[in-house]
Amino acid sequence: MNETATGKRTMILNMGPQHPATHGVLRVQLELDGETVVKATPVIGYLHTGIEKNAEAKLYYKVIPMTDRMDYLAPMSNNLGFCLALEKLLGLEMPPKVIYARVLLTELTRIASHLVWVGTHALDLGAMSMLLYAFRERELIIDIYEAVSGQRMMSTYFRIGGLAYDLPEDFDKKVKNILKVIPERLKDYERLLNDNKIFRGRTIGVAKISGDDAVNCGLTGPILRGSGVNYDVRKANPYCGYDQFDFNVPLGKNGDVYDRYLVRMEEIKQSLRIVQQALEGMPEGPYQVHAPGIVLPPKEDVLSKMESLIFHFKLITQGFTPPRGAVYQAIESPKGELGYYISSDGTNKPHRMRVRPPCFVNLSVLPKLIEGGLVADVIAAIGSIDIVLGEVDR
Amino acid sequence: MKKVYSGIKNLIIGLFTTGKHLGRHAITVQYPTERWPMPERSRGIVVLLSDKETGELNCTTCLLCMRACPTAAIRIDYDKDEKGKRILKDFVVDQGICCFCGLCEEACNFAALKMATKYEFATYKSEDLIWHTDKLQEIGRDVPYEKPERKKPEAKPAAPKPAPAPNPLPAPEEKPETKDGSKPEVNDAN
Ligand code: SF4
Ligand code: SF4
Repeated sequence: MNETATGKRTMILNMGPQHPATHGVLRVQLELDGETVVKATPVIGYLHTGIEKNAEAKLYYKVIPMTDRMDYLAPMSNNLGFCLALEKLLGLEMPPKVIYARVLLTELTRIASHLVWVGTHALDLGAMSMLLYAFRERELIIDIYEAVSGQRMMSTYFRIGGLAYDLPEDFDKKVKNILKVIPERLKDYERLLNDNKIFRGRTIGVAKISGDDAVNCGLTGPILRGSGVNYDVRKANPYCGYDQFDFNVPLGKNGDVYDRYLVRMEEIKQSLRIVQQALEGMPEGPYQVHAPGIVLPPKEDVLSKMESLIFHFKLITQGFTPPRGAVYQAIESPKGELGYYISSDGTNKPHRMRVRPPCFVNLSVLPKLIEGGLVADVIAAIGSIDIVLGEVDR
Repeated sequence: MKKVYSGIKNLIIGLFTTGKHLGRHAITVQYPTERWPMPERSRGIVVLLSDKETGELNCTTCLLCMRACPTAAIRIDYDKDEKGKRILKDFVVDQGICCFCGLCEEACNFAALKMATKYEFATYKSEDLIWHTDKLQEIGRDVPYEKPERKKPEAKPAAPKPAPAPNPLPAPEEKPETKDGSKPEVNDAN
């Protein structure tokens, strides 16, 4: 029990770090006056992995598996950001097939991430069946990951200079199946949630933030767009050929939890549109850029050509050396702007790698969202930010 | 009163939507008795492959997989014969450290190492996850693979020089060797 300046007696409550509704090991220190939150302090660091520091001791190509582990719900986006940053530093142009495949897979990632979000968020607010349905649909996407890259979550599929392997044969069929199934299922979700009294009651007007405040706090992603600010890195600063695709950026109006939900649902639909375009326009061609010394040569060549063998050996043992300089590459990950800053000192390891994690920045606004509200709304607010603690702590 | 009605309406819509799924067959499987078919590429445990006819390991002790491993899960002990050729003594994979990234498989040129589609290797002790040559070979015996055609590298008149890489690479560091020629290799090329 504490005494506030006004003489009220408040209570400190620790929410987390092992709380199912904090979506990971987040601890929120709440100061409560009855049911009202007076002060909230997020405490992070329980999942610190030291990925940024670790990267300084690794050859460039060995950093890719580590980036998977930041936002483990969107591994392809993380890979993409890192690879694009290095390709920018090296000045590599990707062949069209790589661009299309990357866009397709990162958009599937966005759908998968939003599906997990909608499932867990609805579960937090009391709609149990949503979780099961959302995970069932996500399974379709995860199956594609497994067929494409070999792993369900830690895909490590993008490489600096292209893709690790070519797309598998039944890829088209699987993606078409998704394009058919998910829109139908989305209708089910909307029927369950959009007009549901309990869901609306717990989300409308809860954890509001205005557009100006959101910009000032540095928010990005659906939480920013839920407040009506039109900023999407895919449109504002196109990367990886996003300017070739036709899609809309959905915006909310009120900046509350319900609007963020609507924005994410609409984003899933827009992502499906992009996936459709990418699948239809998928060009034939090489799945890696021709850059000996940066990209591994094909296996057939390695055993028959001396140069390839040497390049292979050198790349594996010593990596490659990008020119001196620094580069920043931002992408729109499902959670917001994910940026990689890589500073190279002309050796084969990064001098410094800094990740601008959307979750970390978005989480910093939590006290603003929940102070003055009720304890029950804390859950809705944390859920609506869509944090992944692996990325917050890195 | 209105509230009650709209609440009941929501309830009915919800029950109707969930009820539609009631009749569908289950999408899960009863795990230990039924299994998913694993996609061909799926990356499970690291195994060593042996030649189909002779049963010998394909590994040529080139150490590339060890160098490529980001977590230093692979350790290779070897001897050198009188000609300086490496002879494999022990190939150790710590499956507990392995992060299943697949970089070792990419590095291996001789189809000697593969990430099999097997995934069940739980043990009671973490030491049991350190697998040595025989175990890795045994589990890899029935793993299908294609051996790449091995052609002789084109004969070159002079000592082969790499074509100039876009960026010059630093010279490899020489590692001191112990007297008897065998050196316990540590993966420091991270
Ligand atoms: S899969 Fe990755 S971590 Fe595991 S042994 Fe191979 S290179 Fe090392
Ligand atoms: S890369 Fe292949 S051949 Fe070389 S040591 Fe590893 S397993 Fe053996």
